[in-house]
Amino acid sequence: MPALLDRVGRSETLSGWTLVSPAAVLIGIFGLLPVVMSLVLSFQHSDLLTPETPWVGLDNYRKLAEDPVFVEAIKHTIVYTALFVPGTMLVGLFVASAMNRSVRFISVYRTTAYITMAVSTISQGIIFLWLTDRDYGLVNAALNSAGVQSQPFLASPTQALYVIVAMTIWGWTGFSVIVYLAALQGVPAELHEAAAIDGATAFTRFRTITVPLLGPANLFLVVWLTINALQLFDEVYATTRGGPLRATTVIVYYLWDRAFVQFDAGYAAAMAYALFVVILLITAVQFRIARKHAHIS
Amino acid sequence: MIGRRLGLALVAVLTFVLAACGGGGTSSSGPVEIAVWHGYQDTEGDVFKGLIDQYNKAHPDVKVTELYSSNDLVLQKVLTAVRGNSAPDVAYMFGSWSPNIAKIPQLVNMSDVVSAPDWKWDDFYPAERQAATVGDKIVGVPALVDNLAIVYNKKLFADAGVAPPSPTWTWDDFRAAAAKLTDPTKGQYGWLIPADGSEDTVWHYVPMLWEAGGDILSADNQHATFNSEAGVKALTTLQQMAVTDKSLYLDTTNENGPKLMNSGKVAMLVTGPWDLSSLSDIDYGVQVMPTFAGSAGAHQTISGPDNWVVFNNGDKKKQAALDFVKWLTAPEQVKAFSLGTGDLPTRISVGKDADLLAKMNEKLPGSATFVENLNNVKKVRPQVEQYPAISEALGQAIVSVMLGKDQPAAALNSAVQAADTALAGK
Amino acid sequence: MTTPQLSTLTAEPEAQEPPAPISERRSRLRLPFSPWHLVLIPLSFLLVVPLLWMLVTSLETEGEANRFPPVLIPESPRFENYSEAWAAAPFGHFFLNSVMVTLVVLVSNLIVCSLAGYAFARVRFLGRGALFVTLMATLMVPFQVTMIPVFLIVKWFGDNVWAGLGIDHIGALMLPNLATAFGIFFLRQFFQTVPVELEEAARVDGTSRLGVLFKIVLPLSLPALSTLAALTVLTSWNDFLWPLIVITSHDQMTVPLGLSYFQGAHRVKWPLLMAANVMSLLPMLLVFVGAQRYFVQSVANTGLKG
Repeated sequence: MPALLDRVGRSETLSGWTLVSPAAVLIGIFGLLPVVMSLVLSFQHSDLLTPETPWVGLDNYRKLAEDPVFVEAIKHTIVYTALFVPGTMLVGLFVASAMNRSVRFISVYRTTAYITMAVSTISQGIIFLWLTDRDYGLVNAALNSAGVQSQPFLASPTQALYVIVAMTIWGWTGFSVIVYLAALQGVPAELHEAAAIDGATAFTRFRTITVPLLGPANLFLVVWLTINALQLFDEVYATTRGGPLRATTVIVYYLWDRAFVQFDAGYAAAMAYALFVVILLITAVQFRIARKHAHIS
Repeated sequence: MIGRRLGLALVAVLTFVLAACGGGGTSSSGPVEIAVWHGYQDTEGDVFKGLIDQYNKAHPDVKVTELYSSNDLVLQKVLTAVRGNSAPDVAYMFGSWSPNIAKIPQLVNMSDVVSAPDWKWDDFYPAERQAATVGDKIVGVPALVDNLAIVYNKKLFADAGVAPPSPTWTWDDFRAAAAKLTDPTKGQYGWLIPADGSEDTVWHYVPMLWEAGGDILSADNQHATFNSEAGVKALTTLQQMAVTDKSLYLDTTNENGPKLMNSGKVAMLVTGPWDLSSLSDIDYGVQVMPTFAGSAGAHQTISGPDNWVVFNNGDKKKQAALDFVKWLTAPEQVKAFSLGTGDLPTRISVGKDADLLAKMNEKLPGSATFVENLNNVKKVRPQVEQYPAISEALGQAIVSVMLGKDQPAAALNSAVQAADTALAGK
Repeated sequence: MTTPQLSTLTAEPEAQEPPAPISERRSRLRLPFSPWHLVLIPLSFLLVVPLLWMLVTSLETEGEANRFPPVLIPESPRFENYSEAWAAAPFGHFFLNSVMVTLVVLVSNLIVCSLAGYAFARVRFLGRGALFVTLMATLMVPFQVTMIPVFLIVKWFGDNVWAGLGIDHIGALMLPNLATAFGIFFLRQFFQTVPVELEEAARVDGTSRLGVLFKIVLPLSLPALSTLAALTVLTSWNDFLWPLIVITSHDQMTVPLGLSYFQGAHRVKWPLLMAANVMSLLPMLLVFVGAQRYFVQSVANTGLKG
């Protein structure tokens, strides 16, 4: 029906923008505008104390390029992200599959996944500090009984970052589980039934039926977890404060320190913008890969 | 269509910019309201609120309201509020922030105000006055004073057959005792130090630097001098205990000191009076820090005075705020506060009050020692705005030595370089 | 094409799961319970350890809580910690404020993000890609940097639009969070999994875009919507930094600010803090338990049947 299609084509844009406008206005004012204002800040020298904020052009960015601590922070952030994102997705998928059953008390088990997200990062930090304590922690107690020497964990410049990876995977598993549970609901039972009748094992069925249908959920998780990982702050603040000896200094922690401890807010804003560009690029790549993948499958 | 959203943003920016210079509202009738932001809760909070009630009753033309805000985060809150023209009238600020907050235009410079005789400015301990002074400005009135001394577990000393700390102890005596009190099989350590590299770590090292005869900066505050012989000697002492003897527990969380002490796992803590109330499960004693044998530095300790600062939100509020702060820091209220909370008195005259000392000792044994120790505060940390950068460099150096990654001289030398760069830069 | 009956959409938690394959059925005959319990119990235990620690600490005395290594079993559980924590600050009022803020933010997000998420998922409009990227960009700059500009903007609203939206009012807690790019992104992904044939059929029948959204897409997206609801409630309830910056009056405070009452400069009152923490988890727990029914949906697949 050509006439109908014609009407649909033109009104698509109108209806699209109508649907999107409340969100666009709200996020425009409270999300975008601050982001733009922060960009302006990155071209200024501001200590947040004096109202004078002289324009320094690209000075902050130049300083950034020569800052060895910033380079270290980048390295730590990348290592952290590369381990955290896949780790959380895998663990989350495993747990979600286990919980996607009609076993008795399943709602109780699922509630435990949810409620872990409600625990504040401060409490999480304290618990992990205690669990991994070199002298008094449970983990070392267990290692000792297995004949392994006590490890310094969060007190060690070489191990601390990895312990934070483990701690944050633990903290984010609940989120991953919730997302996957919602996605697993959309996997049609009949497909599983048919494949089972054909003799496919549970694992094969999982791999060939479930996983591909989790595409949108996977994209969501990989993008959201990456965005969050690159902006890691709370858990570092709650445990190591960027130490020991800067081993866990990640970009956002470093910029917070610059802004509120060293009173150099313009520099912090420049750092945030450098990070922003990186996150934007990585996210764009992730979306592109997903689109190609979707076309192939 | 995209233009629509951009246009919206432009309009928002424009209207916002035009309206940005909105001032705070002023109420013409009714009592003058002043807002006090502080970090007191628990006992301190109750006593403080009591004082406020007392003031409000006696001054019906003024209404003082208080807001609790955790001290760590209050700076962010204040900076944001100042930016948005909604600063409080009075705020409790860490002394270490003084050189920086001195730059806030709305901050009231108290130098003319406190020179009036009824403020009795000289009755405040010298270190406090120094911590409130930045150049020719006085940024606030002392709110809190403290210092560092040894707090030790009497039972652990008795069990190990070691004589408890005495005023004649040297750091060698301290080291020997710490070694004897360390027992890896029991997970027991002689001493504990906060080791996260923050100012907490630094200010444990600084009195040792001073006692050894050194200084953080040169007299003109132009360059760093903590890599002197004295500085290396002080840091070596820490290295010996942390790396060689392994009697010094490195607390990278900064929180476990009192807990470990209270659990009988650590024999000595160099800390301040605020930790005494956490040590409910042990029998403890308080003693001044040891000296370095043969050093002219003798007994010294460090104090971290904090200040009440006043913001100018209009003449009426400013005056009301100043009047309130004057009352709050008057000897009578200082005594009442110390009595109620166990915090050390900020005024010399109150610190000499035998009756107060006796009562404080009753509530929290050892308090009197801390008060008397205030007389050992001879120096303060430099009041320069680059201090955070200096502290950072020094903190990293100390931690790297204590972790066994660096030697004292080398670590201090690179820290001095970083500090000098910071001093030259800004 | 008929739209699915609503009655078939609400599922019991123990509803139709794929029938267990032969191997599982056999093992079910051997054990009195499903072997999955052996996996789920240790898993859940690991996940729940922080909460257990909070519970244990909330029943200890201060002396016990100030020990390291921590005391795992308090000598005599101190339930008074709960009443003391409640009385230490006007928690009733804090709860009320938190509930109001969270409710408004939740409803607003569900509505606004559904509209936008659907548009991004299914409507081909000019500028869609650019707009989506722009909105996503707001997720990529840390709040520590944007919080001062947001503060200034909210202050402007309070001074020029309505005081209830400005600094030191709970309206200021709602305003910046009425819609998030997170919610839009999340729903866009899930709306894409709804079979497009259903929507096209309805459109051919003359249903408007909005109609398709409300009659077809949303009913089939209950797991996604309830998940977003749960996550939004969580984030809103636990928000600490923004209320800290914006709220100064006691009667406008929310629960997390109230919790910070127990965190002193040098000392934290752990037992009371943990008791207060546990109490503040309860509403979220209730929300989640209530939303559980919608997490499972057996009919997401009925769309494929003729």
